[in-house]
Formats: sequence, structure tokens, C-alpha cells
Amino acid sequence: MEAGGEEFAIGVVISAKTTLGEEFEGQIVAFDRPSKLLVIHEGVGRAERGERRNVRVLKANYIREFSVVSKGDDPLDPAGCMLDLDAIYAREEAALRQAEIDAERIGVGVTPEAQSIFDALSKTLPVQWDKTDIVVMKEVRVRSPYMPENVSGGTAAANERVKKVIDFERKRLHARVPGLS
Amino acid sequence: MMSHQQHMAPPSRGSVNGFPHRKLEKESSGRHDNKTNLVRSSSGGLSGAENGIILGHGSHSRDRLIYVLTQLIGHHVDVHVKNGSIISGIFHATNSDKDFGVVLKMAQVIKDGSPKGQRYAADIIKKPETMILPARELVQVFAKDVALGGDELPKGPGHDKRKDLLIDSAISRPHYLEERELERWAPDEGDSECIELEKYDRKGNRSWDQFETNAALFGVKSTFNEEIYTTKLERGPHMRELEKHASRIAREIEGEDTKDIHLAEERGLFLGDDLDHDEEIKYSAVRRDTDNSKYKSFTNVPSSTHHVGSFNRTVNIDPKDSLACSSTMGEESSSYTFDNTDSSAITQARNVSQPKFDDPSNKPFSVGENRLDKKLSKDNNENLDNRKLQPENNQLSAGVRPLISEGLDGPPSSSQPSSSGQGFKSPETPDSTISVKPSVMEPMTSSRRPGSSTSSTSERIAANSVASTPGLSPSSSIGSLTSEKSTLNPNAKEFKLNPNAKSFTPSVSLRPPNPPASDASYYYPNNMPAAPLGPGLPVGMTFPPAYGGQPVMYNPQPGTPPQGYMHPAGPQVRKLYL
Repeated sequence: MEAGGEEFAIGVVISAKTTLGEEFEGQIVAFDRPSKLLVIHEGVGRAERGERRNVRVLKANYIREFSVVSKGDDPLDPAGCMLDLDAIYAREEAALRQAEIDAERIGVGVTPEAQSIFDALSKTLPVQWDKTDIVVMKEVRVRSPYMPENVSGGTAAANERVKKVIDFERKRLHARVPGLS
Repeated sequence: MMSHQQHMAPPSRGSVNGFPHRKLEKESSGRHDNKTNLVRSSSGGLSGAENGIILGHGSHSRDRLIYVLTQLIGHHVDVHVKNGSIISGIFHATNSDKDFGVVLKMAQVIKDGSPKGQRYAADIIKKPETMILPARELVQVFAKDVALGGDELPKGPGHDKRKDLLIDSAISRPHYLEERELERWAPDEGDSECIELEKYDRKGNRSWDQFETNAALFGVKSTFNEEIYTTKLERGPHMRELEKHASRIAREIEGEDTKDIHLAEERGLFLGDDLDHDEEIKYSAVRRDTDNSKYKSFTNVPSSTHHVGSFNRTVNIDPKDSLACSSTMGEESSSYTFDNTDSSAITQARNVSQPKFDDPSNKPFSVGENRLDKKLSKDNNENLDNRKLQPENNQLSAGVRPLISEGLDGPPSSSQPSSSGQGFKSPETPDSTISVKPSVMEPMTSSRRPGSSTSSTSERIAANSVASTPGLSPSSSIGSLTSEKSTLNPNAKEFKLNPNAKSFTPSVSLRPPNPPASDASYYYPNNMPAAPLGPGLPVGMTFPPAYGGQPVMYNPQPGTPPQGYMHPAGPQVRKLYL
């Protein structure tokens, strides 16, 4: 457990290993002694406006070992650190919305195979999860184990279509991943 | 926008998964108490700018940490915890007052480090939920693609950073780089091969026969027969006569005096150096209002900035149209212009005709404008009055002229949309005055600079003139007819007077301000082109004869020009409004 207080100077580029086995390299952006949080960004030098870097906030006591690679200037511009809170909250909202949409597509408590069938269907048909059933176009239902015979509901045409798509997708998946079901 | 509160995260209400509500509350409340502006809205800077007090802890390093953590809000992060698990979610908040516990939304355990969770976590998928990770569990928060230097400004590509990728929208932004000085192209030294294509013998025939070459190189036998594509020349006894005749005609045409700068340049005529005729004006394909003097008979578009008064002989172009026309007119050779116009306006126009009143460039106006403005403003007023009356009489000449002059005079100033327009406006007569006015309203010029000339014209037109340029654009085509003058469209169908065409009498009621598509033809009542057409009316500047009174056609749609009416080739065509 390395406190490394003195060495953790801003701008220093270090290469380190954590107690969890992770290795990384980056430049120190900040170090807060009371909380022992070390902020590192990958890449050296100040990030320009809009330039993106990977950032780590790491508790220093989990650093198993580290070494100084080089010393550099302050990666943050003390006069230029603006926080556009509006933009930040907007970003958060957008991210949350997107995450919810994505979450809808994931079945809860379904097998990976079921999920891949769902994903395959969703490429061309509007599909939703209803517990572990796949509901296509809001009328055709596909139950576990998602074989063509498990397709029910909807108009004859829709039903047929879903059956065909399931059949086709299964074959495709099998061809790709023979082990999959 | 948050005002001065520090806001690391939106205050959370209610308990969150067992995390003591109190703590979070304290977080926010703590911030409220703290008047420090560590974290402010974009107007602020980090730390210490205002007062060096940090969030309750007095350490600058903490500021930085807080800055970074705030920048993380909304990002997808992976949080590593003590037992080796990794939780992925959207960073929502952190407890900056204490030890920086982390709150994630839509979080899921993507790697389970606990002994019992060693199997593949994805086997059983759970719904994402909000998770609070206490500080004592925290090992690392890892976020990808964070803009520590601040996000890009909303303008995006306009920024210098992206100099290499210049997309159209960035280039056309007003604040784009200044113009560069253009240099004439000259072939490089020793680059004589490129002359190859230009090898012509004395007679002007190329010394290179493509068919020969092709046959030689590839053995391809050509079946090209020139006569399929062109008229066979009868080389007989009459050949010489015909040739002579043809060259005579050619000489005549080419030697014609023209006010159109393009033609003039071709023919080697010197037009007199106008106010900055920059390259664009000289060589652009865009038809612009030229001199007022170039009014073609049918461009009554007074609106045309340039010509004040020149032309009206022809059509009853809507003042607005004239504006549009005028634009073209300016460039046109003056042959068609209304040289005979005796209206004062016209004279003035003539004087000013030299300067180009191109709307687009506005440069020419700088000089002319001043001159014109003075002259015109006064005249305009007069003219306007005259004009106002004129139209009523349906006297083409009368009405036209005044209108045109109006337009013309006005336009010069109007060329500067803002300025001219203003000037023009005042003298502008009320709608009532000219029945035709309404139609004119539509900004004729449309095609080019809706703002510039049209606005001025429209204003002039007063009443109905709707400053909107939209209408004019199509009309401009018509206008162009007139204003284009001879140069309007040499290829257009020649106007043949059709004695049987319906005559048009303009209705007294003013047209609603927004004439539909500019294509509507605007005919000046009663005055049909036949008489007033100037000497040099170019072929193609035909004006539908039918319009003795009623405008023959009103074409709200841009498409269907009246028969015999040369369809505006370019944007300058003035639309006639019924």
C-alpha cells in the first residue's frame, strides 16, 4: 500500500499496478490526500477543448507499485476549468434515456440464446420482451424455447412471417456458433 | 442553469437503496451552505477564482478532484470495488463532502468478483438499477472519453480544431476565414504538354483527328457521321454567297454594342469601368442587375435597383419585378435600355447605370449609391408620385416608366438592401397608388439577393409589397427578361406579337401582398410591348403581346410561362403578377 504522497505530483506521468492486478500508465491530474484519491488521465499533456481522454479515479492505497515515467506540466488549466452544468445534466439525461432504451432490449432472466434470437428479430421486426416471451409487432408471441412451433398469435400472415424469421435466424445462429443450442 | 449553487449532482430525494438519505442531503445542503463557487456554471472558473475557499475542506487538490468528478456526470463508468467486482453504469453523483462514495444509475454488475458470483455474470441478466457504492468499497472509477478540457462548444465543426475537415456548413459560416487573394493560373515551367489540346492550325481546325487516332491505336472503325448532328453544308455554287451572308450577320451581331459586361468583354468593348467590378461580377454566371439604362422594354420592375427609369417600355413589370430585373439589367447591354426615356428618372438612371447595382456584391453601389441616393431619393419621390398615378392609367409607357424609374432609382440605393430600402421606403407610395403594385410586391430579385434589391423594391411598391423576397425569386426570371435586356437570353424564343392574344386589364383591386410564386407574370396594363420596345430589343426579349390590358397570365406556379413569353432563363426573370 503505497501512500506515495510526495511522488504524486501533478503532471507526473506514472506507470502503475494495482492490487487487483490492473496495470496502467497515465499522467496525474490531481491527488487528494485526505481521500487518497488519485486522478489520472491517459495521454500526456493538456487536453484541448473537446479532446477526450480516459480518466481514472483511483484510491491510492490500492496501488501496489508504480514508477515515474516522466514529469510534465499541469494537465488542467486552472483558469480554464469551466463546468457547464447545463450541458452536464443534459448529457446525463440523454445517457439515461439511451440506457433505458437499451435496457428494454435486454430480456431479464433469459438465456443468451434467447437474447440473440431477440436481437436477430429486432433487426427487421419490432419486438419487445414480455417477461421471457418475445412479443413481435405487439401481436405475435414467441415463448421459450423460441422454436418455430412456439410462435403463436397474430394474423396468419404475421404468424407465418415470424415463424420463418425465427427459423432462419436459428439456422444462421447455428451456422455461426454450432454450440449454441 | 444553476445559478451560484455548487451542484455536483442533482439533489436526490428519498432514500436510495438504503444509502442513508441523510448523507446525501447533507451533501447538497452542505453545498448550499457553502457559498464557495468552486463549481459554477460555465461562466465560472474552477476554484479560487473568486474566493479561495474550497468546499469545506480548504484544499486545492480537492477542487481538482471535484472538477474531474463533476465532468464525469452522465458518462458511462466502470467502478471497481474491493472484492474485484466491476459495476458499470452512468455516473450520477458523488459525496464530495465526505469520502466520495459514488452513485450510479442504470448500473449493472458486469463482473462479479465475489466468490459466489464467479460464474459468468451475463448468464442471468438483471435489470439495471441505481446503485450506491460506499467509499470504503471503492477502488477505482474508470471512465472513457472524458473531455477534461471542457466539451466542444456547440458550434462544433466551425472550430479551429477541425481545420482539416472542413465541411460546407463550416465553410459557409459567416465568420469563416477571410477571402484569399486569387491568382491567375499560369502553367508551370516546362509544362508544355498541356498545350496539346489546344493545337489548332491556322484555320482553326484541330490538327488532331480523334477518329484517326482511335483507329490507329485501337483499330476501332468509326461510324461517326457529322451530318447526323449538324446541318449538311451544301458546298455548291451558292456557297460563297451564303458564307458571306452568314459572316455578315455574325459580324453584325458580334459587333453590336452591348451593355452587358460579359458580352462586352467578349467583343472587346470597353464599357467604362464601373465601381468595383470585381471578379465575381465580371465572370460569374449569376445574372445581376445591371445598369438601369439597361431596362428592357418589358422590365418595368421599378424595383430593380439599377435602373431608374430606364425601361419600361415593355412590360408592366411589377416594380418588384423590376427590381429583380434590374439586377439583370444592370449587366445587360444597354442596347435594350430605354434610351429614349425621357423621364427624369431615367436620365438619372442612365447616369447611374454605369455603376452596377448588383445586389450581391453591393460593392458597386458604394459609389453609385451615393450618387444615386441623392439623386434618386428626390426623384424617387417624384417619380413615385408619378408612377403611382401612371399605373392607374394603364399607360404602359407612363405607368411603366414611373414604375420602373421608381424601381430603378430606388434600387440603386436599394442595392444596399438596408440603406436603400430605407430611402426608398419613404417615398414609396401607398398601395393605393398603383394597382399593379401589389403584384410587384414580391421581391423579384429573388433569385439573387432577396434581401437587397427586392426588399427595396418591395418597399417601394409599398402597399402590397411584401418585403418578402420569396415571391420574387421565381418572378425574377420574368424580370430577367426585361432587365436582362438583350442579354437576357439570346437563346430564348423570340417574342412574336400575337394579335389574337387576350388582352389584359389590370384589376383595380390591389393584389394581396403575397403574390404567389414569382412566376406569375405581371403585365402592365395596356401597354404592350409592341410599341415601346426599344430599338435593340433582343431576340428573345419577347413580351407576350397579348397584354394590352389584362395580364395574360398569372402563373402562380413557377412553371408555365405564357406562350410566346420567353421563359426566364435565369433567376432574373421577372415575374409578372396579375
